Amino acid sequence: MSDPVSLELYHAIEQFYFREARLFGEKRYREWLDSMVDSSIHYWLPIFEDRYKGDRKEPPPFPPAIYDDNYADLDERIRRLETDLVWMEDPPSRIRHLISNIEAYHGESNGEFIVYSNFLVCRNRREREQTIMVGSREDRLRPDNSTFKLTRREIKLPQRVILDTNLYYFM
Amino acid sequence: MDLRELIDVRNGRQKKRIFWDEELYRLELERVFARSWIFLAHESAIPKPGDFFTTYMGEDAVIVARTQGGEIKAFVNSCTHRGNQVCNAESGNTRSFTCSYHGWSFGLDGRLQGVPLEREAYHNQLDKSQLGMRPVAQVDSFAGFIFGCFDPEAPPLREYLGEMAWYMETFTERGGAELLGPPLKSILHCNWKIAAENFAGDSYHVGWTHAAALKVAGGELAAMIGNTALPEDIGVQIALPHGHGFTVFWNSATSLHRGDAYANFIRDRAPEVAARLGEMRSKFYRAHWSANIFPNCSFLYGTNIWKVWHPRGPHECEVWSWTLVEKDMPHTLKRNIQKEALRTFGIAGTFESDDAQNLAGCTETARGVIGDRGSIQGVMGIDREGPNRDLPGTINASPVSETSMRGFYKFYSELIQAPGWSELNGRAPSVANGARRE
Repeated sequence: MSDPVSLELYHAIEQFYFREARLFGEKRYREWLDSMVDSSIHYWLPIFEDRYKGDRKEPPPFPPAIYDDNYADLDERIRRLETDLVWMEDPPSRIRHLISNIEAYHGESNGEFIVYSNFLVCRNRREREQTIMVGSREDRLRPDNSTFKLTRREIKLPQRVILDTNLYYFM
Repeated sequence: MDLRELIDVRNGRQKKRIFWDEELYRLELERVFARSWIFLAHESAIPKPGDFFTTYMGEDAVIVARTQGGEIKAFVNSCTHRGNQVCNAESGNTRSFTCSYHGWSFGLDGRLQGVPLEREAYHNQLDKSQLGMRPVAQVDSFAGFIFGCFDPEAPPLREYLGEMAWYMETFTERGGAELLGPPLKSILHCNWKIAAENFAGDSYHVGWTHAAALKVAGGELAAMIGNTALPEDIGVQIALPHGHGFTVFWNSATSLHRGDAYANFIRDRAPEVAARLGEMRSKFYRAHWSANIFPNCSFLYGTNIWKVWHPRGPHECEVWSWTLVEKDMPHTLKRNIQKEALRTFGIAGTFESDDAQNLAGCTETARGVIGDRGSIQGVMGIDREGPNRDLPGTINASPVSETSMRGFYKFYSELIQAPGWSELNGRAPSVANGARRE
């Protein structure tokens, strides 16, 4: 089992996550990408298959994902929002991320951190649309001056049928 | 409610209540979903004996399984004892299906095999042969795409697909096609028909709804933004008997994909398609398609997303999405196509994400009493469609038209009014079909 980080590092990592959540809530995605995401990022939200525990079928040869993005892919997603032509976002939706259950460990390679966290995202649109999505993240962070950069994020959502009409937001 | 009033075929108008009315929806479950061929799965999802996949036909849960003998069977996912859903996993491999209530077990063909306490409690008086899970009346495949139909009187699958099959051979016949799963699953707050009609023939919305994604894509796609120009001879729209319909843009198959690998694959295979199927279908091979197989199976060839809109009441549907590929594509190309297809038309799709609001909006506005009385119109190109000497079906020379939508609703209207398939079969084909085929 990896070593947990010190109290001081933990605080810094936790603040990093809360700041990230605030940037998401304020839709400051470009700032998020520029200041918090490493160029080597793999941002991944795989689909799971709801099989029986004892099932013997081999796993799918091409497991699909909702997000399977590198840095350029994330940049393109943000550029789409920056065109100001996304009608669904006019008037803008309102979104809020609650982040909790943060655990931070030293990773295998030098300076890398393995961080687990849970999230609850509440998105409100138009008059009465509200969707709440709960999930977890397993991240890799690397130190970057006095802060960190995200090199890997694997997101897990427990909903097999996503109970929302689109998941075009970051978690 | 007078069913004859719902669709005004001659004038291309529909009543708004077709997207809202609960009574009509229940009728659709009977007369559309229990009569039509409904997409189930691709055979590549259940290649081995014991493989199974669960899905829906309308709102009936069904199991699709491959027996030990290699046959594909489909049956209603409901125990014949007290009705409990038997199979609760979405897919897998098994020898039998056991109900979690009293332990009745069923074979891969749905037959009742085991009943606990059969001797002690049932005194061997249970006729197990009559208690298999209810079979789907007809199950068949086209190019490995498995469809099921609850109606024994419906025409066979190939006849139901009609010329849609001829067109689809464009991408299924050369090397075979398959779907990469498991499917993405999500919801839309709209009536299933709005999604189906959108994919059948709504190219008009692309330049407006998807402006943001087109701008990021740039190039020729960006030229579509704002619907300010419509060049000639850029594609066609096609309506076919039994409500199928699709739209093509020539030479645009891979326009939504980044990189050259897929474009090169199509360029290299097109001559073989021409040799096997003729020049016209080779042209379709290089085109981008948006299609709907009546009632609720849509796909984009080129972008290669394949969808089913499962109805969940009149105001909601559940969207399942797979990636379409050709079987002999290299592994890396399949992987690449899957990534691009889901990136554009998955749940977080750069294009797909734009549609939900519109589809929901079209449904919601029938909520009020005045909205419910209203009509909507789909008259674009109504006087510019007809038979074509080169192409089967009713053809509109502009891909930006509403010919496919009208064809969908024409058949829908006939289907919901007809007492059965025999009354439908006795009629003339619902759209003209005078083309010469290669």
